Amino acid sequence: MAKRLSSQKLLKNNVLDAQLCTGCGACVSLCPYQAIYNDRTVQLHYCDLTDGKCHAYCPRTPTDFESLRELLFDTKDLTPEIGAVKAYYLTRAADSEIRSVAQHGGTVTALMELALNEGMIDAAIVSSGNQEYLRYGTVAADKNTLCKNAGVKFTVSPMAAAFNQFTRHEKGNAGVVAAPCQALALAKMKLNQDKNEAKRINQLQFVIGLYCGWALSAEKFSELLAKKYIRMDAIRRMDIPAGKNILELHTANGIREIPLDEAQACTREACNYCIDSTAEYADVSVGAARFAGTTEEQRGWNQLIVRTRKGIELIDLAAKKGFLEIKDAPQESLRDLKKAALEKKKTALANITRKSGSAKNLLYLDNRDVLLRRILGV
Amino acid sequence: MGNEAIARGALEAGVNVAAAYPGTPSSEVIENLAAVAKERNLYVEWSTNEKVAVEVAAAASFSGLRSMCVMKQNGVNVASDFLLHLTASGTRGGIVLVSCEDPGALSSVNEGESRYFARMLEMPLLEPADFQEAKDLTKWAFELSEKIHNIVMLRSVTRMSHASGNVVCGKLPNKIPQARFVYDGPLTDPLTGPVISTPVGLKHKLQQEKLKTAGKLFEKSPFNKYFGPPKPQFLIVTSSACFLYSREALSMLNLQKRVGILKLGCTWPLPEKLLKKYLRLTKNIMIVEEVLPFMEENIKVLAASYPKEIGVKSFYGKIDGTFPSVGELNPDVVAEALAKIMKVKYKTLPASYAQELRKVAAVIPPRDQTFCPGCPHRASFWNINAALKLDGREGFVCGDIGCYAMAALTPAIGFHTVRTLHSMGSGTGLASGFAKLDMFGFEKPVLSVCGDSTFYHAVIPALINAQHNKADITFIVLDNAGTAMTGFQPHPGLTMSAVGETVPAVDIGKICAAIGAKVEVSDPFDLETTTKKLNALLEEKGNPKVLILKQICALSPEKKGKKQYEVKVNEELCLGEDCGCNRLCTRIFRCPALTWDKAKKKAVVDEVICAGCGFCAAICPQGAIIKKEVVAS
Repeated sequence: MAKRLSSQKLLKNNVLDAQLCTGCGACVSLCPYQAIYNDRTVQLHYCDLTDGKCHAYCPRTPTDFESLRELLFDTKDLTPEIGAVKAYYLTRAADSEIRSVAQHGGTVTALMELALNEGMIDAAIVSSGNQEYLRYGTVAADKNTLCKNAGVKFTVSPMAAAFNQFTRHEKGNAGVVAAPCQALALAKMKLNQDKNEAKRINQLQFVIGLYCGWALSAEKFSELLAKKYIRMDAIRRMDIPAGKNILELHTANGIREIPLDEAQACTREACNYCIDSTAEYADVSVGAARFAGTTEEQRGWNQLIVRTRKGIELIDLAAKKGFLEIKDAPQESLRDLKKAALEKKKTALANITRKSGSAKNLLYLDNRDVLLRRILGV
Repeated sequence: MGNEAIARGALEAGVNVAAAYPGTPSSEVIENLAAVAKERNLYVEWSTNEKVAVEVAAAASFSGLRSMCVMKQNGVNVASDFLLHLTASGTRGGIVLVSCEDPGALSSVNEGESRYFARMLEMPLLEPADFQEAKDLTKWAFELSEKIHNIVMLRSVTRMSHASGNVVCGKLPNKIPQARFVYDGPLTDPLTGPVISTPVGLKHKLQQEKLKTAGKLFEKSPFNKYFGPPKPQFLIVTSSACFLYSREALSMLNLQKRVGILKLGCTWPLPEKLLKKYLRLTKNIMIVEEVLPFMEENIKVLAASYPKEIGVKSFYGKIDGTFPSVGELNPDVVAEALAKIMKVKYKTLPASYAQELRKVAAVIPPRDQTFCPGCPHRASFWNINAALKLDGREGFVCGDIGCYAMAALTPAIGFHTVRTLHSMGSGTGLASGFAKLDMFGFEKPVLSVCGDSTFYHAVIPALINAQHNKADITFIVLDNAGTAMTGFQPHPGLTMSAVGETVPAVDIGKICAAIGAKVEVSDPFDLETTTKKLNALLEEKGNPKVLILKQICALSPEKKGKKQYEVKVNEELCLGEDCGCNRLCTRIFRCPALTWDKAKKKAVVDEVICAGCGFCAAICPQGAIIKKEVVAS
């Protein structure tokens, strides 16, 4: 009888060595064998366990998407392009202080503040801009910390590892801000039936997903910065202003610009094989309200997709308590979003097929998946 | 113990100076001399390495004193360059080089053979065949050395040095000689002029004459002795412990009346006349010796040189495959070979005995070679593995000689980090070479390790090489404050000499810094700090970087068995097999003091053998291993 490969070995062969690792950290802080260091997932010692959680939670191992969707969403809400949509709005934080530190409308920060204030969660697990914390996310319990960590990070923060770390040490409830791959990892955790695990995973109250086109590889990006004599730790904020094809770096010495194609050449390899740009497995997903035909008025707003019942509760509460300004999004906005999301899916599927060498082998995806088949046009 | 007998022989010969570098199975010779140094007015030292040990002993000889240098087999290789010149320059006071060798490599990483040095460097070689001879031959070696004015080599093996037997002691001399170095005579007179190896032609000729003189003395030496019938059907020529094996084999096979044994105590140069006399007795000659066929080759050359006197012989030995070409011999191996040739029945142990043996063996728990409980090396390699894995460039370690060599010998206990292992000091030299392969596309980070004693022995030139040639290496000194593997002999880093005097310590960090390397110091038991420091060093590009991991050996006499921490497993916190840690503490870390309670399915600390280092508390992901500082009462 052929010996079953250990979960760790499968992860190594099919995810790490295959350059599919998103750096989400779902496999980290569950055991002493896996770690994240300088943006890389590292296996410290040999583990021979099969059916490991590291393999089960990884967003780049095979997933029972059907069961997952059934567990999280109302089937009628599902769309092939952007996942489940219960509602779709333009939003921004009501608090101008939050808006002033936010990348766009400050929706994520406002929602987290609300959840903390209302006692829905004891901790908001958000991405930290601090380079020292490349290994972890940051746990915020107040508005100050939230504001300090507001703004888009273009490199990966291992949010799933931060959640694992939090539940290992704390008993309270948490909300997590997550990129699409991280939202999928956190969703996969909910499929686990183990009693001890369930207790820990139930600490997760909601996931606020972030739109994501790609993330930068910290290693490649720091090499690029070094060439341009920019210190990573001097960067306070990054932005991609609409229509300018540049990455703006706000440093202590003013704004530096990097051509977008140069920055995108530093994209994490794994991002090329990602079909999710809107964090389809989150409770709500938030992105910039920017699309063709953006008016000046819409600058400073977010798009918000509500996906689950929990998401509805959160947004209703935000409206009731006056934390968010909410307005209906124009129809063309949704159409443009779907179009862009579909493009990303098609490109990623083409990349996946090229990598596997066969249209039948979609690596971590399943070519029998109903929604995928609609995109593939079969 | 054989080594005690050698030390006693030296004392009876009136030895004045003894120097050595520790190495199993040789170390006890100096330890025994050091113990009586004061009482017998000896100068005894642990030298930095074997070459220096011979040099220190030679200075005493040049000054008319009797001296001795002791080493294990590969130590002779280290000393050989000086020996080449010393045998040419000649000596004055009696000087003996003792090489204790390790057939079967019981505690070595080589099966080196130093007898060839005697032939190559043209010096006499003696091999004691029992414990009495170990003493008597040592004593005689001094006399021989003084007669021929050259160094004499005495070779022992593990089963001679470390086995015990009865020895009748002789008298100890009671004179304190005066050291006088005379050098005003002519260049051509080795006894009054400067002691040098030139003029080469003259000195080389002299050296060969000395060897011939030794050969003549060997003809009449009582240490070469024949045992057996006057007209044997078969002759065994042997030396050293193999003589005892051969005698036992003959009695096992009841062949004493048919087979003779010529035991040689003087094996280079061969006592030719004596050999001619006994080789003539029979057609069949068996040479019983360990490691390489040194005697066999020499005897065959002799037989070929005198065919008329000796006649045509059938030789049995290592060359024709009668004996295995590697490993130790024992009476069984000799008896089996002899029985086959003599066509007699050799009754090995009955089958039932073997069965019983297997039954007993089955209940003995398997014991891997491993680091002791509380060994800082285990923690050091844990740190090194973590740093290398986090670094992610598939870096590796060049190993060196010491307890930490086990990290290479049993890869699991070095967490699969050590990838080369050779002679003392060679790890850092190899690393220096690997690091220069970057121009050929070699990109892996290269590390080397060495212990504190090894650092002084042979690493410094390699480190200087790395610094001068800008080799980007990370060099780790596993400083456990003593020559731990051979029994805590002091070394230049300590403030104590071989005889217990206070001496100045030579600081490793300062040497490295003076060479120009960046130097960091850390405690291997501090997992977080050490790994962080190591990763920072690995990421730094350029010249050699040095990390000194300082932590005293768990068995060090200085610790006196005191525990720093009481270590316990909190059974409620230990989730056992439900943890997801997959028994990291007992499956991967594998400190012998951590055991797995199969019934409870939880980890347990064996308090009896736990050394109380507390390191395991840092690796348990569940925080279930609790350490509590022991308060001195």
